[in-house]
Amino acid sequence: MALTLNINGKSHTVAVDPETPLLWVLRDHLGMTGTKFGCGISQCGACTVHLDGAATRSCRVPAQAAAGMKITTIEGLSADATHPLQKLWVEMNVPQCGYCQAGMLMTAAALLEQIPNPTDADIDAWMTNICRCGTYPRIRAAIHRAAEALRA
Amino acid sequence: MAQTLRMTRRQFVITSAQVGGGMALSIAAGDAVAAALAHREPWSRPLGRGAVEINPWISISPDDSVLIRVASPESGNGVMTQCAMTVTEELRCDWAKVRVESISLNRDYQENLVYSTPGDFVATFAGRSTIPERMEYLLQLGASARERLKAAAAERWEVNPAEIDASNGVLTHKASGRSLRYGEIADHAATIKLHYEPAPKPASEWTFLGKASPTKLTNASIVDGSGVFGIDVRVPGMKYAALMQSPVHGGRLKSYDFDVIKNMPGVRGVAVVEPSAPRKQVRWRLSDQDNAPQAAIAVVADHYWQARSALEALPVQWDPGDGARWKTTEQLYDAALEVLEKPGETVDKDQGDALQLLASSKRRVDATYMTPFCDQAPMEPLNGTALVTADRVDIWHPSAISIQAYCTAAEEAGIRPENVHLHQTLVGGSFGRRLFGDDVCMVIAVAKRFAGTPIQVIWSREEMTRQGRYRSLKAMKLSAALGGDGLPIALHTRLGAFIKSGQNGLMDGAYANGLIPNVRVESTRVPLHILHGAYRAPGYNSIAFFVESFIDECAVASGMDPLEYRLRIFDKWPDAGWKKCLEEVAAKSNWGERLPRGQGQGLAISNWAMRGKPHSGTTVAVVAKVNVTRAGELTVERLDLAFDCGRILNRDAVLAQLQGGMLFGLNMSLNEELTIHDGQIVEGNFDRYPMLRMAEIPKKLEVHFGALSGHDRFNEVGEPPVGPVGPAVANAIFRATGKRIRTMPFRKHDLRWT
Ligand code: FES
Ligand code: FES
Repeated sequence: MALTLNINGKSHTVAVDPETPLLWVLRDHLGMTGTKFGCGISQCGACTVHLDGAATRSCRVPAQAAAGMKITTIEGLSADATHPLQKLWVEMNVPQCGYCQAGMLMTAAALLEQIPNPTDADIDAWMTNICRCGTYPRIRAAIHRAAEALRA
Repeated sequence: MAQTLRMTRRQFVITSAQVGGGMALSIAAGDAVAAALAHREPWSRPLGRGAVEINPWISISPDDSVLIRVASPESGNGVMTQCAMTVTEELRCDWAKVRVESISLNRDYQENLVYSTPGDFVATFAGRSTIPERMEYLLQLGASARERLKAAAAERWEVNPAEIDASNGVLTHKASGRSLRYGEIADHAATIKLHYEPAPKPASEWTFLGKASPTKLTNASIVDGSGVFGIDVRVPGMKYAALMQSPVHGGRLKSYDFDVIKNMPGVRGVAVVEPSAPRKQVRWRLSDQDNAPQAAIAVVADHYWQARSALEALPVQWDPGDGARWKTTEQLYDAALEVLEKPGETVDKDQGDALQLLASSKRRVDATYMTPFCDQAPMEPLNGTALVTADRVDIWHPSAISIQAYCTAAEEAGIRPENVHLHQTLVGGSFGRRLFGDDVCMVIAVAKRFAGTPIQVIWSREEMTRQGRYRSLKAMKLSAALGGDGLPIALHTRLGAFIKSGQNGLMDGAYANGLIPNVRVESTRVPLHILHGAYRAPGYNSIAFFVESFIDECAVASGMDPLEYRLRIFDKWPDAGWKKCLEEVAAKSNWGERLPRGQGQGLAISNWAMRGKPHSGTTVAVVAKVNVTRAGELTVERLDLAFDCGRILNRDAVLAQLQGGMLFGLNMSLNEELTIHDGQIVEGNFDRYPMLRMAEIPKKLEVHFGALSGHDRFNEVGEPPVGPVGPAVANAIFRATGKRIRTMPFRKHDLRWT
């Protein structure tokens, strides 16, 4: 069966079982491997994408449920890695192994869309993704700095 | 060294009479091989046109970009960046134009061990990029390349090379006002042969190392999603495999029914993998630790989700084997505790007369501690991609030690090393999980049953967690006799473990190597089917908890403040860095502040990899502050750490490792425990094996640099902080509640108080 998905502003038609989780359609069918597989059960957030702007864990979303929505992945967060979060992530040396960071960035970007000036408590409530390397303190600091940059 | 790389062709068993070698439906391999080989490194961005190799490690392009090859895979600690920094110090190129890539093990093998001979480089334990042999070699590489660039410019300008200055990628002849960029003269430099090796400058003259704190070179590819981890490899014609191994380690596949799934969408076949002996011929000390494939079945399909769905639908029966007799976790724990009551199978250390002193002591402290099985749980699930043909293997892999992956792949495939091509990817965390090559063995074992087709094998999180190479369970009984001044004069320990276990943090630690005059260390091994491996700071991650909690108990028995107690103990230690760590962390954490009941501070100090010597390894002291509600809810409010690793090369990189290591140690202590039921590991995913998240980490996580002694060593910092966090928290809980915590994970303890 063919599904049409709107990803990062482009329309893609894929022949796929519509129940296939969006994560695997992105990764295997479309070769967009920036979105990561970590747990498959909505626990870790490595697979986070935006569906109509909302941070969503794509490992548990059947692809057909995303049809008709605006899907944004890490590859489409900005045209050239210039989203303030991306720039600060590099500058503040946030990633360690980096595997969780696409999900972290997508979640943080959605947070800033909703709450332009988040408190620590907002960050705690939104950033429920797992980072085994322990980069949380830097993620928190970088989100605060990005909020400043976006206000300026 | 050459000898250890020479591998023998191993005979492997493809089928067994019972279940056969799996049934593969035909796959039109066609041009897949050729296509795959043309795209071997789908992530590599080629150097600029006209790049010149100055030596096998350094290439320079006409646009001045410098490519530095690194032997250690990048698994998050910044090792590639660190190695490139060391080369850059002497090469004096423009850091903004430096790029890194992994060495080729195949080239190493073919070209007379060009990468592995010097500096023990193939022992690519990533964290040890700063050992003297490797630093010296990297500095030499940079210095020699720089002098050749100078010599080339000198020839062109017909001046004395000594009059040429090299800086920031530019060669300048001041007297004549001429200059050349490295990229303009690199091809000429490549033809220069120096008749001497220029001496790198002494550390005191470094201008980049220890001064600058550049961020990781890999960051840019992380934040836009372009970085290629093992699981991101895409080879033309590739199929996906979903894997299931014997749920009880050591079991066998009894039967399966392929007919049930053969018409499911995308399904191409199954591969059955027979268990076999560990791969022994692998060089280096890591050797064969539990790296053999377990009995397994893998379903191969066009897409991973198809493979996984079909695997779930596949009827499979296992013969669990001997491991099934371990019915419950309690049975395991009892077995480990039982051996503590008898003299140890081996006496690992016996100095002075500990037993006699304890027998006659009026002031003795006794306690028994235990730590459970834990999984490293890196965020990238285990995976690998391989293309096996009759005479060649290509494997794309997130290995943490590429030489191990290379050798293991050759052996598992039964193909000569010169025909093995390992394509190292980024590594989504390791923490000890991706060292021994068991994942490589499994990937090759599956792919060779689909010869000619590239196969990507992906472990589900559940499969990975239940088929780990774990931090093994350990139990320890400790007894101390205290002298008239309250300090320990004798220590007797017995370890019960399921492996012949290292006792880092005790055997090689300060207490047993001079501070306590009478020490007896015993251990007993309990055989068990559950597989084990390395987990960040092996041995030490348990032992530091036992020893530092126990010393706290001794302080309490002596009626002394735990800081005061340790300061007195370390008074006699010739390495003043220990006391400095204690003093620094105490001052910065406001040690001794008055706190209401339910709150408390705890202290611990340990050293990773000191090998029994002062001025060695990395010393770390941690103060934890906790809050425990009457209902027993624990919050770790603050962690302070002071450390002495001698000297540091990149302050921010050191900070990142220490922060991450503290949180790793905290999660290990609070949360992690694998349990078993009927011989199988119960926990499969993060719902049952919890990880700290943003809201749960201490509000204050402070690293203090004030205890750095400046001693001439650059010891590692990734593993040391894992040890002292747990005991510091447990000691704080004791002060807050009066409850002494002697087992991990702390979350399973009842901490209520009235
Ligand atoms: S992979 Fe989707 S939440 Fe973990
Ligand atoms: S950076 Fe490694 S898991 Fe987050």
